[in-house]
Amino acid sequence: MLNEIVKKLFGNKKSSSATAKNRLKFALIYDKLEISDEILKNLQHDIVEVISRYFEIDRDSLELNINKSKDSSALTFNTPILSAKKRKTS
Amino acid sequence: MEGKIFVITSGKGGVGKTTATSSIGAALAMAGKRVAVVDMDIGLRNLDVVMGLENRIVFNIVDVVQGKCKLSQAAIKDRRINNLFLIPASQSDNKDVFKSEDMVRLGKRLKEEFDIVLMDCPAGIERGFENAVAAADEALVICTPEVSSVRDADRIIGLLYARSITPKLILNRINPAMTANGDMLNHEDVTDVLSIELIGLVEADDNVIVASNLGKPLVMINDSKAGQAFIRIAMRLDGHEDIPIQVPKSGSTFWRNIGSKLGFK
Repeated sequence: MLNEIVKKLFGNKKSSSATAKNRLKFALIYDKLEISDEILKNLQHDIVEVISRYFEIDRDSLELNINKSKDSSALTFNTPILSAKKRKTS
Repeated sequence: MEGKIFVITSGKGGVGKTTATSSIGAALAMAGKRVAVVDMDIGLRNLDVVMGLENRIVFNIVDVVQGKCKLSQAAIKDRRINNLFLIPASQSDNKDVFKSEDMVRLGKRLKEEFDIVLMDCPAGIERGFENAVAAADEALVICTPEVSSVRDADRIIGLLYARSITPKLILNRINPAMTANGDMLNHEDVTDVLSIELIGLVEADDNVIVASNLGKPLVMINDSKAGQAFIRIAMRLDGHEDIPIQVPKSGSTFWRNIGSKLGFK
């Protein structure tokens, strides 16, 4: 009991509102990073099209991901390249 | 002169949209404006009971849109406050009974009849929200200092921006003692997180429940801190933007801080 009072008087306990503000800031950033499946599908389609102009790729083993970590997010696209396309010289 | 339509919205339910709509509407009418408050929560109407006008409903907004009655027949005149009218929602239809175009058309007629129209938006971001926002010139977003409410407000603000509306924020149900203790987000925290302009701070007030029990406008209850705050918000909406925003305070912070640290509530 006495311990608790001493702790309350001298302890530098972080206020719960500060925690709330921090959590909110991150939550709002994550919320805005959320992308719908449809957009992701369209993006994948467009990327495949562009890459296919230069490389033969295996369209079935494509992988498009959004990796989120604490303070950043990355779009990764994995595809095995079968061969480079010979560019026509004109 | 043509009137103006404000939508009062929040995303999350139960944060005070209906109370804000009725209070700001009553305050503006008391200041001499011709005001219509419109319940856009089709299927779950509540603005009528909060205002104490539930016994006088004959026609509703759906009847107006469907041409079953005239606008003037659906607008219920408040007998206590001059120039205040309620257009109730329908209780039997659901929210997709009309489309955005219907609301734009109705909005034009409302602006011919009234100086100020306040739309009480339903919770959520679906059809009901779309309809309430469709005819709006300006928007007030209301939230409480809680994480869930602030997050939903952020979503709503984004949706309003997408419609080229720059909303202003009402922070509702502030507990000054908890704020002073650091156990509640203060208004600076909230405006910082949401990057939005503030239009008023409203303290948590038991009178809100008493007023709704009685079906009496909050602004008519003397000494209601929330009522006074809503009156000031109404004045700011009415062009008196210079009225300073008062931060709710309770008693001496110093002694209360020491008291609460010692465990006295």
